[in-house]
Amino acid sequence: MLHDTLLSTLILTPGAVGLVVLLLLPRQADSAARWLGLLASLATLALAALAWSRFDPANPGFQLVEQRPWLPQVGISYSLGMDGIALVLVLLTALLQPLVFISSWISISQHVKGFIASMLLLETGVLGAFLATDLFLFYVFWELMLIPMYFIIGVWGGERRIYAAVKFVLFTLAGSLLMLVGILYLAYLHHAQFGVWSFAYGDMLRLNIPMGAGFWGSPQLLLFAAFALAFAIKVPVWPLHTWLPDAHVEAPTGGSIILAGILLKLGTFGLMRYNRPLFPEAWEAATPLFMVLAVVAIIYGALVAWAQKDIKKLVAYSSVSHMGFIILGLFAGTVASTQGALIQMINHGLSTGALFMLVGVIYDRRHTRLIEDFGGLAKVMPLYTFAFLLATLSSIGLPGLNGFVGEFLILTGAFAEHPLAVALAATGIVLGAIYMLSLVQRVFWNALVHEENRNLTDLTWREALAFAPLALFMVWIGVQPGTFLRLSEAAVRHLIGG
Amino acid sequence: MLDWLVAHVVPIVFYTAAVLVVAGAIGVIWFRNPIHAALSLLATFLAVAGLFVLQHAEFIAAVQIVVYAGGVMVLFLFVMMLVNVRTLPREYQYVRSLLPAAVVTGGFLAAVVAAGLFARSYLAAADPAALTAVEGQTMGNTEAVGWVLYRDFLLPFEVVSLVLLVAMLGAIVMGRKDRREEDAGEEAR
Amino acid sequence: MNMDLRADLLALLPELTLTAGALVVLLAGVGGGGRRHGGLAVTALASVGLTAIALKIAVDVSEAGRLFFSGMFVLDPFAVFFKVLFLLTAALAPLLSRDYLERHDYRPGEYHSLVLFATVGMMVMASGTNLASIYVGLELMALSTYVLAGYFRREVKSHEAASKYFVLGALSSGVLVYGLSLLFGELGSLDLAAMAAALGGAERTPTLLTGMALLACGFLFKVAAVPFHMWTPDVYEGAPTPITAFLSVGPKAAAFAIFLRVFLGGLEGLTPYWVWLVGGSAALTMIWGNLAALTQDNVKRMLAYSSIAHAGYALLGLLAGSELGVQSVLFYMLVYLVSNLGAFGFVILLESRGYAGETVADYAGLARRQPLAAFGMLVFLLSLGGIPPTAGFMGKLYVFAAAVNAGFVWLVVVAVVMSAVSLYYYLRIAMQMYLREGQEGEGAEVLAAPWTARAIGVCGVFVGIIGVYPAPFAAAARTTAALIGVTLP
Repeated sequence: MLHDTLLSTLILTPGAVGLVVLLLLPRQADSAARWLGLLASLATLALAALAWSRFDPANPGFQLVEQRPWLPQVGISYSLGMDGIALVLVLLTALLQPLVFISSWISISQHVKGFIASMLLLETGVLGAFLATDLFLFYVFWELMLIPMYFIIGVWGGERRIYAAVKFVLFTLAGSLLMLVGILYLAYLHHAQFGVWSFAYGDMLRLNIPMGAGFWGSPQLLLFAAFALAFAIKVPVWPLHTWLPDAHVEAPTGGSIILAGILLKLGTFGLMRYNRPLFPEAWEAATPLFMVLAVVAIIYGALVAWAQKDIKKLVAYSSVSHMGFIILGLFAGTVASTQGALIQMINHGLSTGALFMLVGVIYDRRHTRLIEDFGGLAKVMPLYTFAFLLATLSSIGLPGLNGFVGEFLILTGAFAEHPLAVALAATGIVLGAIYMLSLVQRVFWNALVHEENRNLTDLTWREALAFAPLALFMVWIGVQPGTFLRLSEAAVRHLIGG
Repeated sequence: MLDWLVAHVVPIVFYTAAVLVVAGAIGVIWFRNPIHAALSLLATFLAVAGLFVLQHAEFIAAVQIVVYAGGVMVLFLFVMMLVNVRTLPREYQYVRSLLPAAVVTGGFLAAVVAAGLFARSYLAAADPAALTAVEGQTMGNTEAVGWVLYRDFLLPFEVVSLVLLVAMLGAIVMGRKDRREEDAGEEAR
Repeated sequence: MNMDLRADLLALLPELTLTAGALVVLLAGVGGGGRRHGGLAVTALASVGLTAIALKIAVDVSEAGRLFFSGMFVLDPFAVFFKVLFLLTAALAPLLSRDYLERHDYRPGEYHSLVLFATVGMMVMASGTNLASIYVGLELMALSTYVLAGYFRREVKSHEAASKYFVLGALSSGVLVYGLSLLFGELGSLDLAAMAAALGGAERTPTLLTGMALLACGFLFKVAAVPFHMWTPDVYEGAPTPITAFLSVGPKAAAFAIFLRVFLGGLEGLTPYWVWLVGGSAALTMIWGNLAALTQDNVKRMLAYSSIAHAGYALLGLLAGSELGVQSVLFYMLVYLVSNLGAFGFVILLESRGYAGETVADYAGLARRQPLAAFGMLVFLLSLGGIPPTAGFMGKLYVFAAAVNAGFVWLVVVAVVMSAVSLYYYLRIAMQMYLREGQEGEGAEVLAAPWTARAIGVCGVFVGIIGVYPAPFAAAARTTAALIGVTLP
């Protein structure tokens, strides 16, 4: 029975529990809200694992498909399906969510109910966006993420939280509404070409979207732009990244983890799932542009990160740089580079999520994130130092850890066709190693000059518990990447070939 | 001379009535004594009734006299006598620059009239017979209006009665003393 | 002849019932010192309920597709959909007003009966197939609402609202009638079907086009579209808040009903001419309505500009013109009705003293003090902003889809960009409620107003259901749309 509705159950579990928490729990039931949130996210993780166990990696198409009419008159249906690409991202989402709750257990003490509910609703939106196979349904879930994130940044964020929250919403909304026009236009094209309305992903692939002449005369280029803008803002592709540092820095730790770990992936996922198969010629045409943007993002992000004094900002800008690699891999367009981009999406979720979590740990103790306020922490907090070092090495792509696998696949996959871009991107790796290691050097190894830092407590068991699964996967992917690459290979081959 | 008069009776009556309409309207705003102003308005009403007769619309002419010249005007005079206003004091005008306002309004009005005349030149002249014919039968204008009003336009006619009721209701709601004042009065008694 | 009149009166049964109800409320309000707030509100509600039953009877017994009162009146599904919409508004109005009137100590009798009279006018408009019956219905509605806007006589703002509304409304009626008379002169009839038939062979003379343009201007005024919107903010701000809520949905929907009926029915032959007029106005309306709303600190003014903007979105459906376009406007009106009445319901709840509770700052920290109320307001604001999964999003979807289908992609782009802008000001309130703490003693308290709360609850249920499962509602709007157009005798 569960087989028919597994994906729906997976998607709706967190949201339903979130609504219960929000509307039914008494006002001061903070502890109950925390436990309910954790249990709901663990249940979601279990369901995701169940979906994994039932997934057939050899099949490139959508599996565990569900379909029900929703607005039959305009051809909108509630249809879900999971392919290998969606599976790995769903697993990442389901894994990070409980860790967010564990790591925020103490640090979120105001409006706990609202925080838990927002997070759970957000998870529903994310899972739905990954699994929807109807463009309209995808859009609904996509927008569903907006409001919870607005509150997560705006209510529990730092000093300039309201500015950051509004900026986040307006950037995201501006892009996504144009995408809505694009979706409507696709449905209209389907109506024009096949005589019926449809928003189904499978039906869209059959459309013949004319290329036309010039940019403004080309439906395919315009549609590509409408979709790509929404996704590029989310990624974010340079120069649309300016919302990201604000949102990351002001968001609470849990919000930053979700934002960096998952929400940014929706942008690259969207490019992969929608832009490439739906608008292949436009994709070809836009490749040089995106290559340039990706390289600029890699180098610009790395240089700006290097200049930061605030640890969290540094990690935020490093995200811009890392997401540049993923874009590079996607647009290079070979199986290896696309697989690399996908696995790098996971890696970035793990390592940046871990880094934000660890920055949050130290912020909770000292209420500062400035690099100059620290130094010599290695002696005071050995376990913490080890964790931070592991996340750093994962982030800069040390062989044997996960980051290396992704970057290596992307660069080798892209080298044949785009040697210059790869060469420039490689300097980004070097820069990444420089700024991350210099961060570690300044925070953990320099002399312990600040007396306040002498009595800092090391990772508590709860913080360690939140970090451990991330560490496990960093090593697992680094040593045995095949486990995960195998899941998505058929789907990626299908994507590239088709 | 008489022949000329007979031949041109329509234009003569029209221009006389037209001059009276405009002169009466000017009088309404010219006279400072409200009674004079009201009587001037009466002249306008009567002259308009004359214009209706010229257009073979006897019923509307009659209504014009009975309702406006009769009912409305009597009410006006009644109220003025009751409140006993002799002349209006010269009040400070809230429209500071009357001249530009007058020019703009007058210009707009002239444009509308010009547009109407221009449009008129495209239209066929109205057939007076239509005013007295119902379903092929010729009858008096009043009878014809009655037919149309109570049969074809029954619904709008009935709705208009509601409009009048609401207008009355509105006048009462707006004009009535405040309930708190009423209560104060009752308590005083 | 007798049989005819019997059929005519049966078709008119809902209007007759509601008129009778209005008279009963009026008379009952005279006695008892006019203080029987609960009783009168219940009487008004009951007459709306009876009218709904009468509407059902009238639809059942009337011959489908037939014209009544010598071609003046029709009871097609289009009219019925709008009548249901008006009855819903009329049912929610007493609920929203009851506690408010008592708190501000105004007589409820005349108030409720005027609301019902306005509703009668709107129902006549929705059924009118002749410009004469449409016009008198419009005047009945307009006159009632002028008085209602000025009903709070102890408030200067209310006076101002009423006089502005009256003067500008009368002006627009004049423009409308002038246009109507020009059309009559050219086409020889006020009957929509006859007009459409006459248009077939008529030359496109300047008179004809002037008449059409003036008629369009009159209608654009009534739906509060730019550049004929100037009255809206002042009237919405000054009128008693429940009346503002009523004005923003009922008369607006009625104006859209006649707009659709006249321009897609009678004047469809002139589409190439009015499409630019209305299209330009729609674009300006969306742009200016949303931009002006950004700067408002008064929530009622902000919602006024937002209602202007929403008229712009709905105009897209009119422009699209197809069956889907008409359906989308009808569906949008329903969605907008429940969202806007809900949002205004909260403004009413917050107006503790005089016109307090109106500035955005009054909402500061509401989420902390009244979590449920804040959440409800948030849902309505998101629905107005068109965020899924609320009703507002579904409404926009239909309108945009219809417009894209008709080739108005550029207007849809304007619409979505402006939707993004609109979210900024809707979220300003959400921001005050959730993100600002609010000083002690600052910010308005939510009042205990059980009747208003019930009305909000009804709206909330609709917003939720339509947002998640819109199919039956959209289908209701669709069957309606299938029969619009020229109803040839």
